[in-house]
Amino acid sequence: MQILLGPQNPVPNLRQAVETINVDGPIVVISAGWRDSEGEIDELQEIVGQPLEDLMLYQRAEQVFTNEPVLHDLQRKRQDNLTELQRLYRIRLTPTIAAARKLMRTKAEPELLRLEQRAAITQLRALDSHHLRRIHGIHQNFNQRRAELEIPMAQVQRDEVRRLVEKAGLVLITGGHVAVLLNRIRLFGLDQLLAQKPVIAWSAGAMAMTERIVLFHHAAPQGKRDAELLDTGLGIVRRRVILPHASTRLDWRNRRRMALFSRRFSPAVCCTLDNGSMIHLDNDRVIASSGSSVVMRTGRKRALTTK
Amino acid sequence: MNPQIENLYREGAPSAGMIGEFIQNNRFPLVEPGHVTFIFQGQADEVNLRRWISGLSTAQSMQALEGTDLWALRMELPDKSRFEYKFEVVREGRRDLVLDKLNKVTAQDPFGANSVCQGFGYTRPAWTLHDPETRSGTLTGFQMYSKAFESQRDIQVYLPARFRRSRSYPLLVVHDGADYLHYADFKTVLDNLIHRLEIPAMIVAMTQSPDRLVEYTGDQRHAKFIGEELLQELNAKFPLIDRNRARGLMGASLGGVASLHTARQYPNRFGQLFLQSGSFAFSDLGKHQKGPIFDPVVRFVNEYRKNPFALAENIYMSCGIYESLIYENRSLLPVLQAQGMQVHFEEARDAHNWENWRDRLRNGLSWLFPGPLWMVYE
Repeated sequence: MQILLGPQNPVPNLRQAVETINVDGPIVVISAGWRDSEGEIDELQEIVGQPLEDLMLYQRAEQVFTNEPVLHDLQRKRQDNLTELQRLYRIRLTPTIAAARKLMRTKAEPELLRLEQRAAITQLRALDSHHLRRIHGIHQNFNQRRAELEIPMAQVQRDEVRRLVEKAGLVLITGGHVAVLLNRIRLFGLDQLLAQKPVIAWSAGAMAMTERIVLFHHAAPQGKRDAELLDTGLGIVRRRVILPHASTRLDWRNRRRMALFSRRFSPAVCCTLDNGSMIHLDNDRVIASSGSSVVMRTGRKRALTTK
Repeated sequence: MNPQIENLYREGAPSAGMIGEFIQNNRFPLVEPGHVTFIFQGQADEVNLRRWISGLSTAQSMQALEGTDLWALRMELPDKSRFEYKFEVVREGRRDLVLDKLNKVTAQDPFGANSVCQGFGYTRPAWTLHDPETRSGTLTGFQMYSKAFESQRDIQVYLPARFRRSRSYPLLVVHDGADYLHYADFKTVLDNLIHRLEIPAMIVAMTQSPDRLVEYTGDQRHAKFIGEELLQELNAKFPLIDRNRARGLMGASLGGVASLHTARQYPNRFGQLFLQSGSFAFSDLGKHQKGPIFDPVVRFVNEYRKNPFALAENIYMSCGIYESLIYENRSLLPVLQAQGMQVHFEEARDAHNWENWRDRLRNGLSWLFPGPLWMVYE
């Protein structure tokens, strides 16, 4: 069971979400996405009205890296490779998406155009899939090399964190830096374990729960930028792309752009999460929702419902 | 005529009380869509508006308003424009350049202060102003001996908030750093953009030349100092990302020339170049008209135009359309683009001054060094 929420500012709806769950055990928090501010959960505790324990994944990892330079180097190498690969992906993505966008707005004989548009979107999807495969390769390589290292301190930390999660009756995953959050969850091997626990996650936390992490910001300081795939997510929430801050980060006036966005990630459903939004899922089925919309093939949005 | 002045004269020549009210109830200069009206109050034989806009004469005479001690000049000004000016007041053959006393907005530069005209729709960007929510970085500094110059040099260094030695940071080297700090609110801008995640936490090294008219005009010693000596020193002192792409070089006016020249001497050592209103003087035929200071600049720019090559991965150029250098900058743009570098060129309705350079910092820095905003969903 998972509940995905929008940003908790300015009006939090975390408490309402917690109240819908019969919490059997302690509540633990993963706030690694906050990086240096990890663990500053007083406000959350006040909202929830119950004691919370932060797993401190970010700081634990920093500590391990400080003491285990070999692991740190391995991790840094992985990050460098991922950054470089993302740059290379972007070089191909920019013209591919520009071509698809041009085809979405050009005028031509409908039957001819339809097939060309479809082919352009297929190309875009193929590029996205290729990128995810390459990323998977980098993670695999890291995991293999890491398994060869015997690092007792890292193992102790992993075991401790896993024990805390196993005992927990509910896991809260905050927003923040989505790549850091995902990285720390994986580093502590929590992917599978989280799938068995009730989880409430918001913003970046909600993105991390899905199969694919889509980065987007149509109003970035340097103007329009095309959405890109960052990585595979934990895969606990399937067939959905989660879009926090959708009302401010997406260019809803540009219907064609939004239509391409929706079709590119189809068959996954693009769901918006703004402040006040909530999607309650059970076995990938929406059992309750409020304030969330689905981006349709036309580029318009409609309310996400339980049907 | 400007509507406020028209209103002042609606019943003939205004009384002293009406003039007082007019002065008190308006903000000066009087701004309306597409136009601006300057007002000077005082006794004079002649008043001129002196402003530094390329393409227009530098002085424009103001008209005495009948029956008053007011002088006025209405001129066309595209919306969101900004430029600096002074009044030239002539009394008994003596000419004085004075600030506009009715306008509180002034800009400072190393030569003093000017009044600032902000056209209709211009607002100072919020990210240039102190934000109490923003965590503040720190300024530190060191001295180093430059073999190239055979003298000591002072370097100021900006360290981002929550700086940690265990991390690696991108580096930006800035010419005329003290001027950027003083006249372009550079530290506030860095603090704000880092806080807003629009640029990454970075280390910024700021140099200040004791003789920029020589050192910034295509001087080999300067290139060696920046491209070798300073970089070595910074690498030894600070945790920097050891990649060309994570290294930037920046400057305005002659500082832009010094940046481009250093990049030419050390191609791709700095992956990112930020060139603001670069004084890229050149000549296609015959002798240039810019004066002897520009001889080495013209030599260097002519040579580069003749044998251009890629200097960096990305270049962000900005220039005001009210400065004569717009011609040089527009001319250099296709030369740079043809070398396969990513070049972004921003033209602003502004002139050759620090506030223009300040207002372009967000676009330039976030384009060259995109921050983690893209990755953060709170």
